[in-house]
Amino acid sequence: MNTHTVPIGLVPGPVHDRLEALSRAKSWMGWAGYISPAVLETAEFEYFAIRNQTTLFDISPMHKYRITGPGAEAMLNRMVIRDVTRIAPGRVGYVMWCDQDGMVIDDGTLFRLGDADFRLCCQELMYSWLLDAGWGFDVQIIDESHRVAGLSLQGPTSWSLLKEAGLDLGDMKPFDCRQVEPGLMISRTGFTGDLGYELWTGWDGAGALWDRLWAAGRNWGLRAIGYVALNIARIEAGFIAAGMEFQPVHAARRLHRGRTPIELGFGRMVHWDKGHFNGRRALLGQLGKGSRYSLVKVDIAGFKPAHGALIYHRKRREVGYVTSGVWSPTTKRNIALAELKAPYGTTRTDDLWVELYVNEEGRWDRRMLPLTIQDKPFFINPRARATPPGPF
Amino acid sequence: MTQNDTYDAIIVGAGHNGLTTGCYLAKAGLRTLIVEKNDWIGGAAVSRSLHDGWTYSNCSYVCSLLRREIVRDLDLPRFGLQVIPYEGGATFTGDGDYFAYMSDHDALRREIARHSPRDVDAYDRFAQTVMRQCRFIRPFLLRNAPDPTSLHPRDLGELAFLVKQAHGLGARELGETIRFWTMSIGDFLDEHFESDLIKAHLAGSGIIGTGLGVYSPGTAYVLLHHYMGDVDGSIGAWGFARGGMGAISNALGQAFAEAGGEIRTGAGIDRFRVRDGKIVGIALENGDTYDAPIVASNMDVKRTFLRHVDRACIPDDFHKAVTRFKIRGSSAKINIALDRMPAFPAAPPNAPFLRGDLHCSTSLAELERGYDDWKDGRWSAEPYFDMLIPSQIDPTMAPAGQHMMTVFVQYAPYDLEVDGVRSGANWTDGARDALADCVYEKMQQAIPDIRDRIVHSEVRTPLDIEREVGLTEGNIFQGELTFDQLLFNRPVPGYADYSTPIDGLYMVGSSSHPGGGVMAAPGANAAREILRRAGRGRKMPRLAS
Amino acid sequence: MSGVFDAVVIGAGHNGLAAAATLARAGMRVLVVERAKTVGGMAKTVDWGAGAKGPEIAHLLYNLSPAVTRDLKLSLDTRSLPTIALSPDGAHAVMDGASLIFAAGGMHPQAADYAALHERLCRFAAFLGQLSDKPPPSLAGGLASLRDIGGMARLGLGLKRMGKADMREFLRVILSNAHDLILDELPDGPIAGALAADAVRGVWAGPRGPGSVFTLLYRMGQGGGAALPIGGIGAVTDALARAATTAGAELRFGAGVASVEVEADTVRGVTLEDGTKIAATAVLSSLAPLPSLHLAGAAHFDVETTRRARKVRAKGTVAKLNIVLKSAPDIPGLTDAQTAGRLIVAPSAAYVESAFNPVKYGAVSKHPVIEAVIPSLTDPSLCDGDRQVLSAVVQYVPHTPEGGWTDAGRAALTRRIIDTLAAYMPGLPELIEGKTLLTPADIEHLTGAPGGHWHHAEMSIDQLLTVRPMNGMARYAFGVSGLYLCGASAHPGGDVTGSPGPNAARRLLQERSA
Repeated sequence: MNTHTVPIGLVPGPVHDRLEALSRAKSWMGWAGYISPAVLETAEFEYFAIRNQTTLFDISPMHKYRITGPGAEAMLNRMVIRDVTRIAPGRVGYVMWCDQDGMVIDDGTLFRLGDADFRLCCQELMYSWLLDAGWGFDVQIIDESHRVAGLSLQGPTSWSLLKEAGLDLGDMKPFDCRQVEPGLMISRTGFTGDLGYELWTGWDGAGALWDRLWAAGRNWGLRAIGYVALNIARIEAGFIAAGMEFQPVHAARRLHRGRTPIELGFGRMVHWDKGHFNGRRALLGQLGKGSRYSLVKVDIAGFKPAHGALIYHRKRREVGYVTSGVWSPTTKRNIALAELKAPYGTTRTDDLWVELYVNEEGRWDRRMLPLTIQDKPFFINPRARATPPGPF
Repeated sequence: MTQNDTYDAIIVGAGHNGLTTGCYLAKAGLRTLIVEKNDWIGGAAVSRSLHDGWTYSNCSYVCSLLRREIVRDLDLPRFGLQVIPYEGGATFTGDGDYFAYMSDHDALRREIARHSPRDVDAYDRFAQTVMRQCRFIRPFLLRNAPDPTSLHPRDLGELAFLVKQAHGLGARELGETIRFWTMSIGDFLDEHFESDLIKAHLAGSGIIGTGLGVYSPGTAYVLLHHYMGDVDGSIGAWGFARGGMGAISNALGQAFAEAGGEIRTGAGIDRFRVRDGKIVGIALENGDTYDAPIVASNMDVKRTFLRHVDRACIPDDFHKAVTRFKIRGSSAKINIALDRMPAFPAAPPNAPFLRGDLHCSTSLAELERGYDDWKDGRWSAEPYFDMLIPSQIDPTMAPAGQHMMTVFVQYAPYDLEVDGVRSGANWTDGARDALADCVYEKMQQAIPDIRDRIVHSEVRTPLDIEREVGLTEGNIFQGELTFDQLLFNRPVPGYADYSTPIDGLYMVGSSSHPGGGVMAAPGANAAREILRRAGRGRKMPRLAS
Repeated sequence: MSGVFDAVVIGAGHNGLAAAATLARAGMRVLVVERAKTVGGMAKTVDWGAGAKGPEIAHLLYNLSPAVTRDLKLSLDTRSLPTIALSPDGAHAVMDGASLIFAAGGMHPQAADYAALHERLCRFAAFLGQLSDKPPPSLAGGLASLRDIGGMARLGLGLKRMGKADMREFLRVILSNAHDLILDELPDGPIAGALAADAVRGVWAGPRGPGSVFTLLYRMGQGGGAALPIGGIGAVTDALARAATTAGAELRFGAGVASVEVEADTVRGVTLEDGTKIAATAVLSSLAPLPSLHLAGAAHFDVETTRRARKVRAKGTVAKLNIVLKSAPDIPGLTDAQTAGRLIVAPSAAYVESAFNPVKYGAVSKHPVIEAVIPSLTDPSLCDGDRQVLSAVVQYVPHTPEGGWTDAGRAALTRRIIDTLAAYMPGLPELIEGKTLLTPADIEHLTGAPGGHWHHAEMSIDQLLTVRPMNGMARYAFGVSGLYLCGASAHPGGDVTGSPGPNAARRLLQERSA
């Protein structure tokens, strides 16, 4: 009898039994091979819990890699576009890394756990890339994806909830991370643009951690959520997502689908003066030649989410498309992220229109809706950055 | 009593390419005859009942290369063609393990990780490269290969298309493309993977049907030849034709008949009749003669010109080029009737990957050694084979509960060496049995009781395939897929446009661009060229994108 | 010595020296740093002991670029050697240019076919040879670069000048395998064997491997002959060294480079193993890509570049056996003059292919292919008295056999080579006074060539021309601004051609003047 069988299809994550019990919608989706909730009850109430109370979302399917050793800082500094030496131990940096042509491979969060100890969390499989990037440096790279579980606790009452769970993090600033108990690391990070924390523990300890938070959450309106609600919040916050705002270049099977950090609006994050990093020469070339695209935040007339819609200049020339679009329940605006071909979105920003096909109970309607480009995230709230945070 | 008659066009050989050409000529209004030496049509794409109750795809056995443009254009599904994709595949090791290729992406990742965690994303990179190369090459399949020495506007046009496609790649990708086209499958896989087993599983497609080893430059391209097929738009997917490969030929035959074409089986050609450098018709072995201003040969270029055309009718250069055209027998086939589904003790019961291609070669070195044996005129001591049990998903192939297995064996030489003499005549019944025995021995890695399951088997050596189908040396591609015999060099430099030195005689088989596999592209491309030259180019539908 | 050099060249092999000479002649202030005590790299004349000198590794010139000889005003004294295809039956043949005769005199039945083939190959080789003294065509912007279009057009013109039939034949065979090309014209035997052996000398391939026509043509790029430099192959590097120093370049020996210094993505100089820092605005490395990359540090290259550099194939297959003989060996069937020729043990193309098989699995050929020459017969200055030196290039020998090189393994290989030669030179074993075996591992140790590979990087089509040594790095510039590759791993490739060095130097000069 064989012992080699690998499961086919999606497999349960570390807190799946909890999620299964909470799921009324039975609406699941696949995330890196795991069963992940799209919606547990209703997306709308789950969304409002993010902005009003606190929400819990299992982020264990993220890929997590541990990079340690005397060469870790130099190795990562050569890999990502920003200067890793400026991320102090106990801090987290949002990072992006490119291929040789300056096209974004993926983005993620880099946790500096010590001088020579990092954890990289990202969407895409990155193990062999990291091994290649680590070649020539004195580093060890371990794939921790199936060892480390993560729970994302997001919302205005999350600090209070943690305090009730016995975890007082009043002095923790945004992008801080620290080991709070043996086997439990917490970072003040998230994907909602609001106050929130991510809790990292061993795969097998995730259930107990969930229960602990769940118990503490009774007085703070804690609600488990699915991806659909989270996605609304991240668009409000103006965060980009792999596969939506950019195609991770290693996964793109067609040519010329890559985008540079500059084109994605992260030009200011590129630390040109730190020495060589992957794709630097190509990106310098783009600085000289100019970008091909620009990713912008847009506000669209009307109420219908414009996800995937084409964008026209003067209603005639096709100049881009909406990469992510939702109705924002908090700001009451029809918001979206959109990619425009240069020079639209940079020097030419007027007379832009979204083409939308709307089906209202069996009647299709084509609408051309004006859009305006925004330079700030749609949702900004000082509570997200306050230290210590407010109770709610 | 001999017959004779006059046609607009005659095609010699009812293989899938000959039938395809026939369909397009007949649909364009030409009175078209296809003559076939066997009593059945299909050439190497046939389903035959050689043991009561069982149907064998006894030559080619799987399809994916069959161009969907042609399937759609000729409406083949209406004539019963149904292609069902496989669900995976596996390579079994000698120690009770295996590597399974799973169609489920998540499961595939887990399976790769079981053998090598770093090969998981390496596989994605490998797939990306191969898919990009497939995308690059596909537009060329249904076009003529440009002659770079020609200044003819048509050639320049095709050349310009090539340059445009290449330009679109950009410098980096162009460099990668040059490398991919010229490197060996072994080196290509070594660049990507660390697991020997995974490499061995993927390498087979680089050598199947060729006289090359996994470390012979150019075999990465051959991989493409097996990957660029598409079953329902999914590149690289392979499928079974319901009812066996003969279903393709039968559908083409019916489409041809519906278009008004005529097929005469049991009608082997004696010679192509040429007068003043122009084709005038054919003469059959039985003495019948037919006249036509257009004659197309579905036979390979060597068989056509070295056996059936008067030497005096072709120029010396062309004759020399044909003589040196390399067609090397390198594979054998075993078709087996099984009394029940054999047990694969290493695999989970009812594993979906058992419904795909199964192998037992576990390293590139093992595959390369197999090639070394072949070079010296022996079959591989540890042969590579590609085995499938299509009756698991096709109920028409075997009686209920019983199964049909097809085993493609690489390498087996055409001119077997015995006591220092290399000759096809050395393929005695004893040699045939010894080859099968060698295959079963190796197959026990996957199926320990294989010998007990066999109800009937048919061993087909390169010599057998040559004798029955008419393929020189039993080569499945009608000519090696090496650089010197691809694109504008196929089959003869200067004659890559399906024409020959004999006015009105065309080559429509796999000897011509783009080459072998049950693809039907040479047949369709040749039809386009024939119709264009006959002033009926507009009757040919536009297939190329 | 202080101040900033315009260029530091790493390695005083023939390519490094040719690069330095080219730069110095253009007025640049150049320093060549060499780890060893003398110039030469793979092209050295060394003391073989017992009062004899001889070529250490490379021993003959096949395709030294006349442009390099001319541009650098090298004065070389060379003797052209005929090729002797040794035949097991004693009917040895002499191949000299397009002529083929039996060594014993008399018409060779394959003479006409051989002459036609040789003539055709030389035509093709000359065409390819034109490509050697300039950078490979660029892929940048597709075919957009105007200068390249000019170059391509000239190339196309050259192709057109061949005539349509030749051009077709060229395009058919260029990526093909030597085995088929040769056997389409000649029966298999010593003549086919000698050609097949020439096609694969120094490379990891058998004559059946596609691409072996290219390596054959590469070797034949300057007419297809073999020439013996008087004073040994070292005379060539000495001449290059003179050309460099005469033009003002400085040479420093015992000066291994520890690192290439890089700041702000620009080369600043090198640091020697003894800690000496040398400032320079450009560094040309005649090492292979991977060791060059190591010197600068992986941090200065893109991840993909390091991956490509690691995957550059360089599996050496050549061993060298240098033998000091008491006196000249007797080769029955050859005259004394013929004995001084280039002796090929490759009785058939099939023999060469079979010899290749074992090395794929880390073993030595049972029956090796040998190119032997007794240079002292032509150049008596190499030895005292009656002594002679026999230099044998032996294929196929793996870099490291399974279990590594042992004394027993080395002895067995030595014996196998001597036995193979003794089949044609009866009494050879008794004449031996001294011998030195260099395995590919030894050659790597001596010269730093990865895998002990003669060409630093495999000469297969996927590592040639626009993708040599690797995609995106074909035109000498090596990532960091001011860093260049100038060795055999760069276009056009290995052998003592003298071309990669000056090509790299010109690239630097061009960038400086731009």
